[in-house]
Amino acid sequence: MASELLEQEGGPPRQAAPQAADPKFAWPAERTVLGTSVKRLDAPEKVTGRARYTFDITRPGMLYGRIIRSPHPHARVVAVDLTAARRSPGVKVALLWKDPANAQNNRVMFQGDEIAAVAADTEERAIDAARLVKVEYEVLPQLTVVEQALSGKAPAVFTNGNVRQGQTQESGDLAAGFKAAAHTIEETYETHVITHTCLESHGTVCEWEGDKLTVWISTQGINTARENFATGLSIPQADVRVICDYMGGGFGSKALSVGAEGLLCARLAKEANAPVKLMLDRKEEHLATGNRPSAAARIKAGVSAEGIITAFDAESWGTGGAGAPAGFPLPYIYRIANRRRSHKDVFTNTGQQRPMRAPGHPQGSFLTEIFIDELADKVNMDPLEFRIKNLPPEAPNAMWRAYLKEGAAEFGWSKRHATGDKTSGPIKTGMGVAVCTWGGGGRGPAQTHCEISSDGSVVVRIGTQDLGTGTRTLVAVITADTLGLQASQVKPEIGDTRYGVSPLSGGSTTAASISPAIRVAAVKALDALKEKVAPQLGVPPESLVAVGGRIQVKDNPTRGLAWAEACKHIGPQPIAVDGDWVPGLSSVTTSGVQFAEVAVDIETGITKLKRILAIQDCGLVVSRLTAESQTLGGVIGSLNFAMFEDRILDRNTGQMVNPNMEWYLLAGMSDIPPIDVRLKDQPERGVIGIGEPPTVPTAAAIALAVRNAIGVTIRRLPLTPARILNALQQQNTPRQA
Amino acid sequence: MAPKDESSDGVNLSRRNFLKSTGVVGLAAGVIAPSGAEAQSGPAAQGPGEVPVRLTVNGRPLELMIEPRVTLLDALRMRADLTGNKRGCDRGACGACTMLVDGRPIYSCSTLAIEVQGKQIRNVQGLANGDTLHPVQQAFCDKDALMCGFCTPGFIMASVGLLEKHPNPTPDQIRKGLDGNICRCGTFNRIFEAVSSVKGVQRG
Repeated sequence: MASELLEQEGGPPRQAAPQAADPKFAWPAERTVLGTSVKRLDAPEKVTGRARYTFDITRPGMLYGRIIRSPHPHARVVAVDLTAARRSPGVKVALLWKDPANAQNNRVMFQGDEIAAVAADTEERAIDAARLVKVEYEVLPQLTVVEQALSGKAPAVFTNGNVRQGQTQESGDLAAGFKAAAHTIEETYETHVITHTCLESHGTVCEWEGDKLTVWISTQGINTARENFATGLSIPQADVRVICDYMGGGFGSKALSVGAEGLLCARLAKEANAPVKLMLDRKEEHLATGNRPSAAARIKAGVSAEGIITAFDAESWGTGGAGAPAGFPLPYIYRIANRRRSHKDVFTNTGQQRPMRAPGHPQGSFLTEIFIDELADKVNMDPLEFRIKNLPPEAPNAMWRAYLKEGAAEFGWSKRHATGDKTSGPIKTGMGVAVCTWGGGGRGPAQTHCEISSDGSVVVRIGTQDLGTGTRTLVAVITADTLGLQASQVKPEIGDTRYGVSPLSGGSTTAASISPAIRVAAVKALDALKEKVAPQLGVPPESLVAVGGRIQVKDNPTRGLAWAEACKHIGPQPIAVDGDWVPGLSSVTTSGVQFAEVAVDIETGITKLKRILAIQDCGLVVSRLTAESQTLGGVIGSLNFAMFEDRILDRNTGQMVNPNMEWYLLAGMSDIPPIDVRLKDQPERGVIGIGEPPTVPTAAAIALAVRNAIGVTIRRLPLTPARILNALQQQNTPRQA
Repeated sequence: MAPKDESSDGVNLSRRNFLKSTGVVGLAAGVIAPSGAEAQSGPAAQGPGEVPVRLTVNGRPLELMIEPRVTLLDALRMRADLTGNKRGCDRGACGACTMLVDGRPIYSCSTLAIEVQGKQIRNVQGLANGDTLHPVQQAFCDKDALMCGFCTPGFIMASVGLLEKHPNPTPDQIRKGLDGNICRCGTFNRIFEAVSSVKGVQRG
């Protein structure tokens, strides 16, 4: 499953393979609701506070669960004493997760590793009781500094070595490539670890009724969660029902696993014979629910006098935490005929990575795009022209060249100065540009049920979930367009495994998976309605169309019935049909480019973002307003990666020093520049997905804009004032000396 | 003459940026330390067991038996099923818990329920009039100023607080007024548009 979320191929994107759909289901040439800006259907629920998230679920007799976690990054659990906790007021149950007696299950591998759990009648009392759990640790030598692991001087923490060397990938003739180079550069580039920081933490409410388990969970995959609970608890999947009506963000961290916290909640509820709510707090979120792995590379690259990159040689590494990989595409997108890359996964005593919005791509993008500008400077070329020279040929899924030209005109790229703002005064401005790709694409099963009743109501049920992307709205848009209605006339029902099997939401695949299924179900439902209406009008069903709230004869609008009238002929039993994903209505691989302009104060090191332009395609635009919002969100996510957020570890203790939201910095309103989003519609390609691609290139574009402003290359994120001042100082030191 | 909007152009050393770059250790210590006068003449200590707490929430009385340590946010969410406002960080940093107390936006996760007795408390569930949304709520819907929606109740309360103080806010007032709230999905531009579009909020 993880491989579906990881796209490690950073080279020329794979071609879309369009397959012919049954023409009956093809996306309509004339779209009435599809591609328009429909207001988010569930917005009123969210703005009034009526929307119930997992965090908001209350059940009769519900207890509150709390997990006891290790403060040590590496330790052996010698003994756990639950006695005092069990006697604490209001406590109903306490249980172990680690087993001191079992050598296979008594090691702590990261700060925050789960030890035990308690449940009490109030949350405050659960927290009190958790503090009373006595854990005896044998603290072991820990490894949290990547450089230590690479130097070979670190304690041997992981059974098969602290460093896992991957296979070297090589193509072309590297020596010849460097021989053909007029200039070379050799530098180290690096990105840091960040955490997902979903505003709603991970958590569940579990309620047993005999052997049957109902779970409310903040998840990106209700069906995956169902499998997780069934497997983890050794019960049949049929006995598990998973519900997620609303969720407060996932960004990849809620996709693959319900985690120890999910299974602990279910076990607490079983033992207590009462419903249990277990929501993690902010510190637990930072420590134990995933992160974006770090990425670094020593890169040597050569460029010909004509501005063609002739050679690329990289040794890369990164840490995904305790035993988890840290892969990313490198070089990213650009064509380099002669190249070699070797990669090391570095294991550290830190929380394991989980997929985070476009896994690997923001890292690969930053590491690549910075040296692209450095090479362009070597040959005195405009970096945008240099990119056009070195990008793969233009194709529907590789539109960078066209978008770069369009963006340059829109953004005023011609006003960009050469590297280093030569104007006087401390405020230096600069521009940068970067490109992105992402696969996305759809798959089944995506079981979809559509009902039309005699009262004219339309219900569409899918066992999918809405991460905040606007899934409900998308369901309504496609159905309404097919039935000739307004989106508000369709009632989507999602977020419950009782509605059927649908893929998890990861890799920007939800829209491309469910949209074809919704289309198929809606077309079938319309066909059934035409069968009912045709005899009333005395015409063959094939002659009817649904348009503007009417069922009417195709070329004779006067001969028809209003929707409500037409539906009266359905009879007591509703039209009820099922659809599923079919090939031909979705496709894979998007492309985009982003431009950024910044102003840097070289006296304080503070960077102010002035504006950003994002040009992005995603195949057929289904729901324009929410797709634009996703693009804005992707840009801002990447902006945070570039400028603010950073998981900071104490080098001595290995503990995270900012597991909160006041020192784990995220942008606020004053930090956000105007962001211009240009969605490029490619209706002929079908639905692809847009969650991931726009969060890839912003960080690199911003870093390059800073470089353009201050004339110094910063090869490491985030772009803190301190890092910028240090870089300026290092540049100036030789001259002063 | 219209005031110059410094933050939209060039580098402006805002309070937020200042704090980001320098740290707030000194400031925070000043905020946390109780003043001598209050320590001597403040209300008698209560608890640690449950005590009666009488609140006025959205114009209605709410009587609870809670421990004095229970925050306003938890009192409403876990004892009164008023779950509209959310808990994101529980430390007064993300703003999802923002409510209005006597018209002023506060972090309800960092305010004890027992301290706001006798005050007018409003959470996001007190804004709409039946099915008619408050102008701020309507603007958030119209501009798609939300995605997952978890931060939304806090942003809406902060916006209402701002607009009741400044019915026609400048762009800079909007930015500063909402700087205490974080949206992880990244809807800031839409929120800015939404709040800018609101007309006719009565001065509080």
